[in-house]
Amino acid sequence: MYLTKEEEKILNGEYGWGLAKAMQVIVSVGDSLNSEKLINIAHAHISGVSYGNIGEPGKKLIKQFADEGIKFSVKTTVNPIGYDTMDYDAIPFTRIDKSYIIGQEEILRSLNKMGADLTLSCTPYYLPNVNEIKKGSSVAWGESNAVVYGNSVLGIKTNREGGPISLMAAIIGKIYYYGLHIEKNRIPEIKYKIHKPEDYEINEVRAGIIGEIISKIHNNDKPPYLEEKLKNDTTIKEFSASLGAAGNLAMVVINGITPIRFDEKEIKETITIDFNDIKKREEELKPNERPDLIYFGCPHTNKHEIEKIANNLKKINNLKTKIIITTSRKEISKLDRDALNILRSKDVKLISDTCLIVSPFGYKGLNIVTNSYKAYFYLTKRGIKVSLISIDNLEEVLRL
Amino acid sequence: MKEFRGRVLVKGEAEGEALVIDEISFYGDINPNNGMLVDGRNVKDKIIVAYKPKGSTVGSYIIYALKENGFAPRAIIMSKSEPIIIAGCVLANIPLVDNIDINVLKEIKDGDKIIVKNDKIIVK
Repeated sequence: MYLTKEEEKILNGEYGWGLAKAMQVIVSVGDSLNSEKLINIAHAHISGVSYGNIGEPGKKLIKQFADEGIKFSVKTTVNPIGYDTMDYDAIPFTRIDKSYIIGQEEILRSLNKMGADLTLSCTPYYLPNVNEIKKGSSVAWGESNAVVYGNSVLGIKTNREGGPISLMAAIIGKIYYYGLHIEKNRIPEIKYKIHKPEDYEINEVRAGIIGEIISKIHNNDKPPYLEEKLKNDTTIKEFSASLGAAGNLAMVVINGITPIRFDEKEIKETITIDFNDIKKREEELKPNERPDLIYFGCPHTNKHEIEKIANNLKKINNLKTKIIITTSRKEISKLDRDALNILRSKDVKLISDTCLIVSPFGYKGLNIVTNSYKAYFYLTKRGIKVSLISIDNLEEVLRL
Repeated sequence: MKEFRGRVLVKGEAEGEALVIDEISFYGDINPNNGMLVDGRNVKDKIIVAYKPKGSTVGSYIIYALKENGFAPRAIIMSKSEPIIIAGCVLANIPLVDNIDINVLKEIKDGDKIIVKNDKIIVK
């Protein structure tokens, strides 16, 4: 690929081992993808920082860069880890060993030394300085739900940069010009229509199921186009997360939401999804017994969602099922006092820095209810029984 | 003796015995603390001949750990590579060559002597 003189110098080690290594990783991967050049990124979001995931090898590698005195060249945020840093035992049915915490703390120290914002959230798009990134900017993000949300809602550009790639991109502040950084690759060719009665509302659970259905049938390099106008952020977020998890997709064009202009003539095919198929799947995934735990916060909840949960719980006395919510500490600090009081009185736990997917949560046969298709997708792989219900229908599950 | 060329992803020269792996996923299939594959073979000092990658984002760190712990293969040659393996090989400084016809790779057997000289591969 073409490199500027400055990029060549970095690659050849004139600025030290660390920058050269990071540059070599990005250039080698870029070359393998036949990328023509590097582009600057405005932000990086690093996934794969959990000790439970990357273990000693990952810890060592990140430390080597930090010890070298390397700093991130762009604003960098970081994904959740396996536990709440202020309350190690916050997640029920989960045991965190001391050695796990020691390993994780070392990873966090290294990332902090390199200049990362340690909010530890999978929804960097709720952070003010991320939310303000100019539309059309390129970034390097690793977390799949954030990748879809960033491309599809914020209109910023990123591929799914797994493993150490977002880390290396954060170090040099550049990524290969490839995939969704290229405008023409963002233009959809397949349209998905939802055939449904007017009063059939698409809530976040149904949106997750639509994500599953599209993931199964979408067989095209360009992002799918959803004609249905999704009504609120929770729905859009769960839809994005579902496509990222079940479909390995990095972008979806949502009518009225995605800031993109394209000619309808580009659409080569329209596929209709019948609401009966959504209904059938929803029925299969519905809870039919009282769960061991109710979980919200995959991806991390925002202030608005937490307040909605609090409001739905207001009228309920004698809550028999434990409810937990994972979110970022920054969202908790924005919560209104009434909501906090309700949650406290119902013993609903607000947990930060982590989520049920990253933490070593649960065991085979445990029974939980959530509103997140993504949580369903990953937790069922561990033998956990997961049913789905919308925040709006929380009361239904409490009656079981 | 046979000679063919591929695409260099990580430059370097190496010489060693072939270890043939159909689908390679470093995470879960290789123990970074002793170089053992789940099937009992060991990757240490071998030239890994792999047909295709099996994705896992932790793979790069495992390759790096193999090197750090002294159990790294000497080179990896593949039919088709992918970003996670490339990143791992760069970080660990392990020569990596891809774009080699899978049928050519399929003729190589465990224990064959292989020399990697950048894009040139010699099977003895």
